[in-house]
Amino acid sequence: MMRMNANRRSFICAMAGVAALSGLGLSEVANAQSNEPIRIGLIYSKQGPGAAIGQYLQRGSELAVEQAGRKVLGRPIELVWLDEPNPQVSQQNMQRLIDENKVVAVVGGNYSSSALAMMSVANREKIPLILTGAAASEITGKSCSRYTFRTQATVPVQMEGLMPYVSQIGKKVYFITASYAFGQDILRASRALLKKVGATEVGVDEVPINTADYSSYILKIRQAKPDVVVGGLVGGDFSNFLKQWNEMGMKDKIPYAAIAVTDTDFWDVGTQASTGIYVKPWYFKNTKNTEAEKKMSADFQKKYNEPPSDKTWSGWMGMRALLESIEAAKSTDAKAIVTELEKWKNSEEAFPFFFRDWDHQMVRPAVIVGVKKQISDKWDYFDVLKNTSESAADTEKAFGTKEEVGCNMPAL
Amino acid sequence: MLDTLVSQTANGLVLGFIYVLIAVGLSITFGLLGVINFAHGAFFALGAYAAWELFQLFGWPAVIFAPVLVGLVGMLVEVTIIRRLYGKEPLLSLIVTFALALLIEALIRFAWGADGKPFNPPPFLVGIVEIGPLLITKYRVAVLGATIATLLGLWAFLEWTPYGRVLRAGSRDPEMVELLGINLPRVLTAVFGLGCALAAIAGVLAAPLWTVSPSMAANAVMPAFVVVAIGGLGSFRGAVVAGLAVGIVTSLTIQFKPEAAAASMYALMFAIMLLRPRGLFGERWERFE
Repeated sequence: MMRMNANRRSFICAMAGVAALSGLGLSEVANAQSNEPIRIGLIYSKQGPGAAIGQYLQRGSELAVEQAGRKVLGRPIELVWLDEPNPQVSQQNMQRLIDENKVVAVVGGNYSSSALAMMSVANREKIPLILTGAAASEITGKSCSRYTFRTQATVPVQMEGLMPYVSQIGKKVYFITASYAFGQDILRASRALLKKVGATEVGVDEVPINTADYSSYILKIRQAKPDVVVGGLVGGDFSNFLKQWNEMGMKDKIPYAAIAVTDTDFWDVGTQASTGIYVKPWYFKNTKNTEAEKKMSADFQKKYNEPPSDKTWSGWMGMRALLESIEAAKSTDAKAIVTELEKWKNSEEAFPFFFRDWDHQMVRPAVIVGVKKQISDKWDYFDVLKNTSESAADTEKAFGTKEEVGCNMPAL
Repeated sequence: MLDTLVSQTANGLVLGFIYVLIAVGLSITFGLLGVINFAHGAFFALGAYAAWELFQLFGWPAVIFAPVLVGLVGMLVEVTIIRRLYGKEPLLSLIVTFALALLIEALIRFAWGADGKPFNPPPFLVGIVEIGPLLITKYRVAVLGATIATLLGLWAFLEWTPYGRVLRAGSRDPEMVELLGINLPRVLTAVFGLGCALAAIAGVLAAPLWTVSPSMAANAVMPAFVVVAIGGLGSFRGAVVAGLAVGIVTSLTIQFKPEAAAASMYALMFAIMLLRPRGLFGERWERFE
């Protein structure tokens, strides 16, 4: 409602401006146009189980805009944030951003299912879309699109980093994964790696999403006596599992390992029940963070009085890449922005990271972390163990070859 | 094999009691007021949050204060909103209480933020009890005890106190009860408050088991609706039997066919609805015909 009022007000102002300008020179008109805001859409969860994640993503994107002085191409930036409650509504919201809000690009999409639905609109309407979550392989694989870019590492890349750690703990592995695209992706990727790391599968449970009670699953795991449990549960489901894992006395008995977790999963659970080894995109306490990332952390801490989660980083990085590409394109033309995103490169880390031009996947190592034995700070839960890869060549290799990825990138 | 069965059945029974506790408030609200309260889950979450907040101020007595507070909130909601739904089309109460659920969830998010809140069992209830093949956590044993005590207290209250008799009579023949000089609207306000307080007790007891977040009720309340449908709308006894059945069926399905775990309780509901459309102990009520 407020936005509508603001729009109406700016419209009236613009009309008044045009009337006043009729006697003035053309340069004045150009000036008025240059103050017209550039609108960018955000699609992050506002309600339901994903609301906390949505909030961190949005704050990250917002921070990137603030750090850019709220301007791009010398014009003010206006962010329009819509909800990501499920694939259908996310898709409709994507359409709404384009039709009603006239956005030049969209940043968002935490869930693979929503992301895939939003991609189809981005493709049809030819609007750049930067996905800040959504780990399913097909997004930059067989369903890849010219207008979609993704910041998060795919499931196979993250599993490749995790499995050597898992096999160091023990050889008998039990899987507990969510029974949808993401969980199935994890099972597929880890089974392919089991032989390579010399481990065997002693049990698997594919758990329906939105399961509140895990006690029966935990009893099963206990009976199977694995050396390590590899998980693929998400959000509230994962937090519930961790809580009950601790409640049933398993925390110090069988180690738990997983990928694609986020800090809030642990902040929700608390220090008492948190345990395990994980792969995440980023961690605020990683000493290898770049100067820009450290500044982002400091700015975030100052503004919200808490540290940024990895989702903040994703929202921030996605928005930064977009703003830098719009600047480089010197225009808001979709094709020009896509071309610049394909050339975009960040050279702040030990080796550059970028969106690969043939699948639009951000090629950048993730970080492997372990929950501290003693957590003294209510935000700092992890020790950083290492990165999933340590050189440019290894990183690129981990993200797979054209044949492995299977993206057939359409023409612009 | 027998060990596995025994252990999962026992676990299912405990889980079933938690479902009963969530379901019983829902069942009472429907049985006595004729309102299907979709916001029951929101009061469940509100109970957990109230306990978390009051715990910072008062320590463990908060687990008692929280349901009382939520009961009072429920009474306020009854006076302002729910009262207008009595005797109206059931669809109206579904829509209004659904909106109420969304509103309360949004208010929780507004007041406490979108993140979850860590909530652990008290230190003396941490640990497990192992008897042969049985493994139950101390906390779940405590939940079992608290649930049974709550259910017994409630049953005694409805069955043996004059107030309980008024409630039961009022739900069947409100006009006659009013003719006897009883202030029925005030009684109904208390009933709705009681239903909300029961949801809050369940929320408080579930808080150390399930993550305390604004949408925490979503996964817990669906089984409660299934339990009420199986047991028979408004039947106290039905809710208990159905809750235990759902708990055991879910546990055993997880053991033998985990991918069907979520569907198993719906399959049970389907089978029972086919055989007894009113649910196991559902009675024929003229006002709902």
